[in-house]
Amino acid sequence: MGWVWERTKSIAWYTEIFFHYGSQYLKSKMTYRADFIINVFSDFFLQSMNLIFILVLFDHIPVLKGWSREEMMFIYGFFLIPFGFYSGFFNHLFDVPEKYVIQGELDRVLVRPMNSLFQVIVETMRLELVFGVFVGLAVMVYAAEKMNLTWSWWDIPLGMMLATGATFIYGGVYTLLASLGFWFEGRMGLMPLVYNISNYGRYPADIYKGVVRFILTWILPFAFTGFYPATVLMKREEYYYFGLLTPVVGLVFWAFSYFVWTQGIKRYRGTGS
Amino acid sequence: MVIIEAKGLTKEFKIFRRREGVVGAFRDLFTRQYQVLKAVDNIDFVVRQGELVGYIGANGAGKSTTIKMMTGILVPTSGHLQVNGFCPHRNREKYTRGIGVVFGQRSQLWWDLAVIESFRLLQRIYRVSEVDFQQRLHRFEDILDIGDYLHLPVRKLSLGQRMRCELAAALLHNPTLLFLDEPTIGLDVLAKANIRDFLKEVNQTLETTIILTTHDLGDIEALCSRVAIIDQGKMLYDGSLDQLRAHWGEDNLEEVVKDIYQGQQPPGVKGWGE
Ligand SMILES: Nc1ncnc2c1ncn2[C@@H]1O[C@H](COP(=O)(O)OP(=O)(O)OP(=O)(O)O)[C@@H](O)[C@H]1O
Ligand SMILES: [Mg+2]
Repeated sequence: MGWVWERTKSIAWYTEIFFHYGSQYLKSKMTYRADFIINVFSDFFLQSMNLIFILVLFDHIPVLKGWSREEMMFIYGFFLIPFGFYSGFFNHLFDVPEKYVIQGELDRVLVRPMNSLFQVIVETMRLELVFGVFVGLAVMVYAAEKMNLTWSWWDIPLGMMLATGATFIYGGVYTLLASLGFWFEGRMGLMPLVYNISNYGRYPADIYKGVVRFILTWILPFAFTGFYPATVLMKREEYYYFGLLTPVVGLVFWAFSYFVWTQGIKRYRGTGS
Repeated sequence: MVIIEAKGLTKEFKIFRRREGVVGAFRDLFTRQYQVLKAVDNIDFVVRQGELVGYIGANGAGKSTTIKMMTGILVPTSGHLQVNGFCPHRNREKYTRGIGVVFGQRSQLWWDLAVIESFRLLQRIYRVSEVDFQQRLHRFEDILDIGDYLHLPVRKLSLGQRMRCELAAALLHNPTLLFLDEPTIGLDVLAKANIRDFLKEVNQTLETTIILTTHDLGDIEALCSRVAIIDQGKMLYDGSLDQLRAHWGEDNLEEVVKDIYQGQQPPGVKGWGE
């Protein structure tokens, strides 16, 4: 009981700190008034363009074996949800090897009584990019309407669980990459490579053959960030087995990456000055 | 009460030695040459509550490395270290609640935030009540004279202005133990005097234990009755300032320290540096 109470308090505290960082982030964005207004408009414009682009694009792509346009669009829409959270919170974890490890910014992080990974994430987040999530939702709803998908209330908690699991996979992969900076000091060429691989997650995985599919499922499990969980929501029963594994894969991958991070912290050596 | 207890504390850095030229770089790809540097070498160190200890040594002697181990940033290679009842790096998140840290070389504040916003964030992080916060803030405004730039972003402050804010930030949560690594670097004469007065007051009224490194011996003379001298990672001297002067038969601390850094032995003292 005591443990549960402690955990609850700690989560409430981290939430409070998170929102405080968030409001500071917005404030610092607003220091330059003209910049801020332009940014708001350009973000909005960008996301709308993105949406229109997706809608138009899907009218023109060929049907892949066994997958209708609407279904592919639905998968893509689902994928944009974890992708939005990734862009907002995890993308800049690629600064970690250079900025935090080599230049020693981690010194500052480590003398504060907060989780180090949490601090790095809130310090490098780009909150405005999280709005991409809404584009994803819009695409999903649109596609669902077009294929006359019937919804029931439990699709909502289920969808949230799947999206959370998918986000954890993204978080896990990028935490893992950031942690490698503790072993291989210096920037690694891995980030763009992984980014490219992550993009495969938004297409039906059964168009990939053997090795690629294996990698996307079990090594860098990006198939769980779009395809597998989306099929569950589309009621394509042949993939339920994989789709429902999404939260489990997310948690396991995240836990593993976090463990690597804590081991990396122990190797941290700072700078000579 | 013992606050810091270090026994045989050691930190080694494995340094990758790059070979020269393109051919060297190519060979580095396959076989790397490492060299082990003992930045802190088997030191024993005990600090009691309320002490104000000056920690000095030549450039590269190992001062910052020691402080980084004591603040939980670096994991010691070997030896025993207990501070405030904690093993610093293992219980980091609990341990750091009770300490304050200032690194002269590196800002602890958020670069883009106004100073007061940084303080507000720290208030949340350390769970300081509004009453305590206001009271401490007023005190810092008075003594450190930071009232004028509380609303400027940290990156716009001059070095001296920033250092005062750093000190205030490190003390907002009223830590029992304060680590200062070159807190007077780059300060003008008046600012130095202010900060020394401030530290003395904090040490006396709040019984805050302070460990301070500096290259300005004026800081030591003004503040510390106890000095520890480290040389190439080894503890060379740990005792009172008066005793140190007596050993060397010389009142001018600068001369004494110069001789020590040159590796000389004090005349007629047995067992120096053992
Ligand atoms: N991250 C690191 N990697 C490699 N070597 C390091 C690292 N940090 C410190 N060193 C080395 O350890 C030794 C001690 O460094 P340290 O920073 O503790 O010295 P210092 O006493 O604080 O010196 P200064 O007065 O110049 O600040 C130096 O030789 C330094 O080069
Ligand atoms: Mg130093």
